[in-house]
Amino acid sequence: MAEGWPKKRRLLGTKVKRLDGPDKATGRAKYSYDVNRPGMLHGVMLRCPHAHAKIKSIDTAAARKTPGFKALVLVLPAKDWIVVKAGGDALELRSVPNKKKKEKEEQRTVKVTPGVTILRKNKVVAVADLKPDDVVQVEVPDDAVGRELFFAGDEVAAVAADTEEHAEDALRAIKVEYEVLDHLVVEEEVIKNPKKKTTPGALEGNYDTTIKDATKGDVEAGFKEAEATVEGTYGVPVISHQCLETHGLVAEWDADGGLTVWASTQATVATAAALAGRFGLPPAKVKCVTHYMGGGFGSKFGPDVQGFAAADLARRAGAPVKIMLDREEEIIAAGNRPSATGTVKIGGKKDGTITAFAVDCYGSPGYTGGATINLNLMPYVYGDAVANMARSHKVVYTNAGVARAMRAPGHPQNCVLTEFAVDDLAAKLGIDPLVIRRKNLPPNNPKADKVSWAGRRHDIYTEQLDLAVKLSGWNEKWHPPGKGKPGAVRHGIGMALHTWGGFASGSTTPNECSVFISKDGTPTAETSTQDLGTAQRTVTAIVVAEVLGLMPTDVLVKLGESVYGFSSGSGGSTTCPSQAPAALLAAQAARDDLFKKVAPKVGADPKDLAVEAGKVVDAKNKKEWGWKEFCGRLGMDEAKGRGEWSLAISNEPENANISSGQVGGVQTAEVLVDSETGVVRVTHMVAVQDCGLVVNKLACESQVAGGVIMGLNYALFEENIFDKHTGRQVNPDMEFYKLGGLRDMPKITVHMQDMPERGVIGIGEPPTISTAAAIGNAVFNALGVRVPFLPLSPRRVLDALAKGGK
Amino acid sequence: MNDSTGEARSGPSRRGFLTGTGAAAAAAAGLRGELAPAAQPNPAAPAHGPGPVLVELTVNGNKLSTTVEPRVTLLDALRNHLDVTGCKRVCDRGTCGACTVIVDGRTVYSCTMLAVEARGADVKTAEALGGDRLDPVPAAFADCDAQQCGFCTPGFVVSIRAALDKNPKATPEQVEAALTGNICRCGTYEQMRHAIVQLCRKGG
Repeated sequence: MAEGWPKKRRLLGTKVKRLDGPDKATGRAKYSYDVNRPGMLHGVMLRCPHAHAKIKSIDTAAARKTPGFKALVLVLPAKDWIVVKAGGDALELRSVPNKKKKEKEEQRTVKVTPGVTILRKNKVVAVADLKPDDVVQVEVPDDAVGRELFFAGDEVAAVAADTEEHAEDALRAIKVEYEVLDHLVVEEEVIKNPKKKTTPGALEGNYDTTIKDATKGDVEAGFKEAEATVEGTYGVPVISHQCLETHGLVAEWDADGGLTVWASTQATVATAAALAGRFGLPPAKVKCVTHYMGGGFGSKFGPDVQGFAAADLARRAGAPVKIMLDREEEIIAAGNRPSATGTVKIGGKKDGTITAFAVDCYGSPGYTGGATINLNLMPYVYGDAVANMARSHKVVYTNAGVARAMRAPGHPQNCVLTEFAVDDLAAKLGIDPLVIRRKNLPPNNPKADKVSWAGRRHDIYTEQLDLAVKLSGWNEKWHPPGKGKPGAVRHGIGMALHTWGGFASGSTTPNECSVFISKDGTPTAETSTQDLGTAQRTVTAIVVAEVLGLMPTDVLVKLGESVYGFSSGSGGSTTCPSQAPAALLAAQAARDDLFKKVAPKVGADPKDLAVEAGKVVDAKNKKEWGWKEFCGRLGMDEAKGRGEWSLAISNEPENANISSGQVGGVQTAEVLVDSETGVVRVTHMVAVQDCGLVVNKLACESQVAGGVIMGLNYALFEENIFDKHTGRQVNPDMEFYKLGGLRDMPKITVHMQDMPERGVIGIGEPPTISTAAAIGNAVFNALGVRVPFLPLSPRRVLDALAKGGK
Repeated sequence: MNDSTGEARSGPSRRGFLTGTGAAAAAAAGLRGELAPAAQPNPAAPAHGPGPVLVELTVNGNKLSTTVEPRVTLLDALRNHLDVTGCKRVCDRGTCGACTVIVDGRTVYSCTMLAVEARGADVKTAEALGGDRLDPVPAAFADCDAQQCGFCTPGFVVSIRAALDKNPKATPEQVEAALTGNICRCGTYEQMRHAIVQLCRKGG
């Protein structure tokens, strides 16, 4: 039986300042982007300027002669070959067939001209150095000829030089001839031309209509039963993660053939493993370091093309290489959030019951990838209460960079398509939309544990709605849509609900944390997990300090290095619910080890010992020792403990109070809309959120307020805009891709529901989900006219007003 | 605490309503009061380059020198050549404020100033606010949790320090006005407002 969280919480749930706050605020914290290694070279990527093209020829000779040039890499699939015969300028090779994939052995002969590079054991070699049976990788420039590129920004090559300026010069000297091919970058153009093919894959065109529909009940009967029905088309565009620290890494090979990278990543262990695979190294010979990370939001889980390129350039140049993307590359090539546009029909009764819900939607993940929305979660939050549904989704491929997970993937889109329709239905029925929300909450599952989400979700949402109504003044402020005080600037209030998992990581290998206690009493916690800005470093310190009777500042936390045991990538809000329990178990094990080692020296029985604030006490014999005094008795020894945690471990019934998952949240938005200029200003947001056991209230509130602000940006400002003629994004920057500043922000009221009995649950994603939908509904409430597409730019507001909602 | 709600209390007004919208665009258009005026070309000044040029300057009290090509920005000279990395490269075109430094007492986007223009200048970055005694601005950020990933934070901190140096009695609204050229992605603005209120209460 696990000991679990301490019954008396001294630090947990209080407001603890993050340990690295001063270092970050004074620029002392070294992010991967800030790492400057001795002799380091700067690398840059060459990208295709066309939305769709084939390489006709590539000539790198001039680039290799530019000042400061050190190395060049072509972006091609990596492949190992075995030397059959080597001599003069000829190389005979055979492939290493993957028997599992039933590959056949290939032969090839390479004429070794000046552009050809041969690598053996990650070192550049000449033909004369080679012997039969050597395993080599060979880069032949002609292999790039005919390569098809699918978006403006697709990677072609990378160069490294002594300075960044010289690297740019070398890049410009690479001569590439392209055969420019037809492209489609606007989703509606794909739908108009369903057979036109400009992207890879087996489809006849760029339009995938094969995703299975999700239906339930009898949707036609449901609409017949309805007292009112509305149909609307709503949508959210493709947006960018806009991580302020761009993607990239610094790669350095050591004399023993090992590789160290300082990467901006959400997954140190997975990044090291991917590099080990790519360069044929045992995993232990690759180390990935991420001490500080400048934002990921779901887009940074591996080395990426530029990371492999940096390591490749470094092995060729024999010097460390840094490649960090620039802002334009970050936006066009390092992931984005996919779009969703849906036609929604919803029917209901005056008591608020939704009798039927039908959605037909599409979205674009870029030139490849899958569905952009989770149909099984529609209608969002209310699905389990609605009897009749018809749901379908299609994927539209465009010649644009590929989507990646972004903070609660699919959920903000699901939320907008559902919650906009709910408010439109309420207007048609002539009722307060709160009535529909209360009526269609997911029911409690009477068979489930009362502590669990399933067993009490209806109660949690009801309590959250009550709180949100009170904190926002909903009952005093809500008015029928468009019926507020008359005037040019109109007031409105809106609401939306969300849900998210936030369980411990489902990876097969559990997340690890180790705690060491030295004779000076300092506990050191080691974990390979990364702190993306979530204050994970501080979370680990709080948990260890709580168990050992110390303060968080007494704990030395070493994290963000792949060599400190296993950790999963920070995605799905899984880090805190994986790492906080691992730290708890590690600290408890270290404490028990300390008792076992020191008890005989102080004449105590380990069973009688306990930790209190700053001391160890033997209640039975009425003795106590100061913490440092007690640890000093370790002598040359040290106490240590290891903890590990995973979804599977958390699912064991006795562990339900340590970590669990699934949360709800309710947000309200109050807006002022200028009906003459179309400008929307949000004046107050209320976010009511549960997340089980709150570890650090200060950082938890920061996460929620930050999520709300990100959601406000989705609602009002953000959109990747493409030009259909050139096929290029017109706003890959920060001036025309808009993000709000301090003075664009409303007052934000955060209310955390502390439910310690549910254990730790992740909080990173949920609070950003419903903000945009709540703001969109507030604008509808202000104007009485639906502005159906985000962002709610002045133009869209004025267009909607001009059409009068028709 | 938060004056942005004042207009909601007293009813909508057009003037209050428009304040602050499109902050990023205003900054990009060069409306930010703190930016130094563009240097006028001096026909008598000698030409530099294209080869590397000696740049000597004072950074956080230390006299430093490096040789960089004239096309190198102050930001890149600091980060790539002098290993002063508190100023961050984010947009690299004068929009986001992450590279804000103080040059001879004025805030500058170091990505929009050439290193050769800063020869002989006194440059302060966020690192100057650390050391043995933590400056009240980064201290307030740490107290109020006004940072998450922290990549934009040195820029915000430098902008606030400069605003308070200029006017130690600045109100929270005046400090906020000095931040119209800084962008945060994690969304730490609410906690930043708490930090600003704390700073203004203590008189900078």
